[in-house]
Amino acid sequence: MSWLIILALSAGVAAQRLSGMFLAGPLLAQRSRLAVLADLLPAAVVAGVIVQLTFTIGDRVVIDERAAGLAVAGFLVWRRAPLALVVAAAALVTAGLRFIT
Amino acid sequence: MPQKPDTEPDGSGRSPGHRCNPNNPSLLADTAPLSYPEPTLSTAATPTTPVPGAGDYATFTFAYFAVGVTVSVAMVEAGVSAARTMTAALLIYSATTQLAYLAVQAADGSALVGVLSGWLVASRFGILASSLGSRYEGPPLERAAAAVNCFDPNVALAIQQAEPDNVRRVFWRVTASLMIGWWTGCVVGILLGNVTENSAALGLDAVFPAALLAIIGALLRRRDGLTAALLGAAICVMAIPFTPGGVPILLSALGAAAAFLLARKTSTEDAP
Repeated sequence: MSWLIILALSAGVAAQRLSGMFLAGPLLAQRSRLAVLADLLPAAVVAGVIVQLTFTIGDRVVIDERAAGLAVAGFLVWRRAPLALVVAAAALVTAGLRFIT
Repeated sequence: MPQKPDTEPDGSGRSPGHRCNPNNPSLLADTAPLSYPEPTLSTAATPTTPVPGAGDYATFTFAYFAVGVTVSVAMVEAGVSAARTMTAALLIYSATTQLAYLAVQAADGSALVGVLSGWLVASRFGILASSLGSRYEGPPLERAAAAVNCFDPNVALAIQQAEPDNVRRVFWRVTASLMIGWWTGCVVGILLGNVTENSAALGLDAVFPAALLAIIGALLRRRDGLTAALLGAAICVMAIPFTPGGVPILLSALGAAAAFLLARKTSTEDAP
């Protein structure tokens, strides 16, 4: 990763964040109905990130120990457990299953 | 559980007079954000507006510590110098972008493809920034600073706050907790070098997804939020085998658009 590539990546990422804030954001705010969409976007995109982190190896869809950890996390979130407990339980279950298998 | 106007504690469906108390996480937040002139969908308020507590901030720090370690270990393993690894962490400021570039490099892809896929995976930050930008009130420079600091937890938690002041406060507090973890994680990752196998044995790779799930927990209690998340996840799963890295997450945003249209349709049918 050369310095030039670091700069190119930085500029591209910053440009997208700034255009979201200054171009797309105000558009969403102008239309009150679209404001609900602004609520829903993080839910959908973060769900996509969770799927990518939990159910893939490269570009293959897999179900492994991480899925069990996420399931336990889901149950605890539903039960309104504190974040620290959710995270610790997910790591423990994932690590525990890896240790057994 | 769907939030219906008639289940609001005061029966009005909106109560602009209520203030959100940041010191009371269990406070029932019945306030529709004041920026909505027509909260006809009444989905704006979540059953409990999640105001993070001290333990939550510590957990964010830990989750981003795990991410920071992962990224800088990957950079060091790919032969990137310590100085460049730290500069990348500071300037690129996106773990997924760095990992995407390294993935292309590892697959002998060209630098151009690597940069393009790095940009592509960062498009979710553009989406998150637009979501924050629709709520965040402040001077342009402060908004610019907020924009470049957009990550998943701080945006997801900030936009769930009803009051503009709380949007800012929660955003910057969560941002600070993320940054502490990210920086120490990056430094520790460089120092440790190869710890990937150990971190997998400890289940550290399960930390970040679990934290993200908890962060959108309040949105998942809303019918439209749950629909958006499930559709986003389903679209992402289906796209993963067929599209290059980053595209599946980008496509998952369509889940929000679909849930939005579904909710509008339902509310129109419900209306007399």
